[in-house]
Amino acid sequence: MNFSKKKKIVMAFTVEKCTKCNAMKKRAFSEGDTLFTMSSKCISCGNLTSIEKIFGEPLDG
Amino acid sequence: MNLVNFTNFDFDQLFAMNDETNPIMMLIWILPIVLFIFYGQRIQLLVTSNELNKAIKKLDGFRSESRSELINYVKNNLNPKNDPTKKIDQFLDYFTIMPVDMDPNGIVDKVRHTVRSREDYSREHVKLLSPEINNYELAKVQTLLEISSSLQMIYKIINHMFLTAKKQNNYPLILPLQMILPFIMEQAEAMRDAISPFKLGQPIGDGIGPMVVGKMMLNNSKESIAFQTSLAKIDFEDRTLFLLKAEGPSSTVGRPADALENLISRNKLDAIIMIDAALKLEGEDSASVARGFGAAIGGIGTERFQIEDIATSHQIPIFSIVIKQSVKEAITLMTKDIADTADNARSQLYEMIRENTKPGQSLVIIGVGNTVGVPQ
Repeated sequence: MNFSKKKKIVMAFTVEKCTKCNAMKKRAFSEGDTLFTMSSKCISCGNLTSIEKIFGEPLDG
Repeated sequence: MNLVNFTNFDFDQLFAMNDETNPIMMLIWILPIVLFIFYGQRIQLLVTSNELNKAIKKLDGFRSESRSELINYVKNNLNPKNDPTKKIDQFLDYFTIMPVDMDPNGIVDKVRHTVRSREDYSREHVKLLSPEINNYELAKVQTLLEISSSLQMIYKIINHMFLTAKKQNNYPLILPLQMILPFIMEQAEAMRDAISPFKLGQPIGDGIGPMVVGKMMLNNSKESIAFQTSLAKIDFEDRTLFLLKAEGPSSTVGRPADALENLISRNKLDAIIMIDAALKLEGEDSASVARGFGAAIGGIGTERFQIEDIATSHQIPIFSIVIKQSVKEAITLMTKDIADTADNARSQLYEMIRENTKPGQSLVIIGVGNTVGVPQ
């Protein structure tokens, strides 16, 4: 039996997409983030962004 | 050609049984043979027991970790009137006795009744813990309760099998346990890892179907068509699409079969398309999209039976799109690959609609799966 697989630490990320210029921004997930809801302002055009994706990615190393 | 000569062995030398033989060396040879003949199985039992013990300790850890996470979540977020520990411990030991299947006639209705009664019971009793609880938190606590009670059940069964084999000193009894344990551990670890996304309301891999359909439902009027199930009607290239999914962002799978039954009593449907997560085979790529026929829906089988029954009685074809993933990916935080495949799955869905229906027709699209963290 092999139970000694090294466990990877998974971190949650939120991807915001601007509703006007479609610019995408990836940031760490913060509590309360929900898919398809309006989020922060777009850094390129100042319009509101909506949460496009929430996912987990293993941290390197 | 040189051949090895096998005919000139010196047997005295080979077995070394002459007068010059060192008795200690002889014992070194013979003792292990005798030992393994009479105590071989016991030695194997000891070695295997050691490995199993470690795994069972891990399972015990998962069980107590999930229990304390649940109790802390209820204490910190739901402001219960009294200490919920005793009540939660009672819930964790709850069991379900499945109906007798000696006479399979009507078994699906019986199973559905039993499962729904259990769900209703646990929902009502979670409400008693904190009367002001909202539906979102209620669904969350119910899911956490299911995870904890499943981990408790796994631990109890595996421990029982192990202790029985040890008590009887029966090595063959421990072999099946040794074989299934890696799979059980994989599932248990996945369940343990599922606690965090459910607590935080993050989408899980199984939520890819609701995610694909939920985005199509945005900015359209929605109605509740069945218990915890939402419906929206949209137009797509001269076709009418009825979009169905569980009501997000709560942790629920809804009742798609009841919703379909309700929908078909009011509308004529020409096709059913289901989008769901499916277990990938070893070697298959995670997040790959596949198309097929038949009802793509997991669970105990009652929903699938009802959907197939409706489709058959109304002669409606069922198409499906599945997004492949492992057990762990299905119940833990959605991976990047799966999240990235949502747009691809949606474009395959549009392609499927164009290929299988004509303008003027109506069809229902069902996003199957747990919709935690996925609104519509």
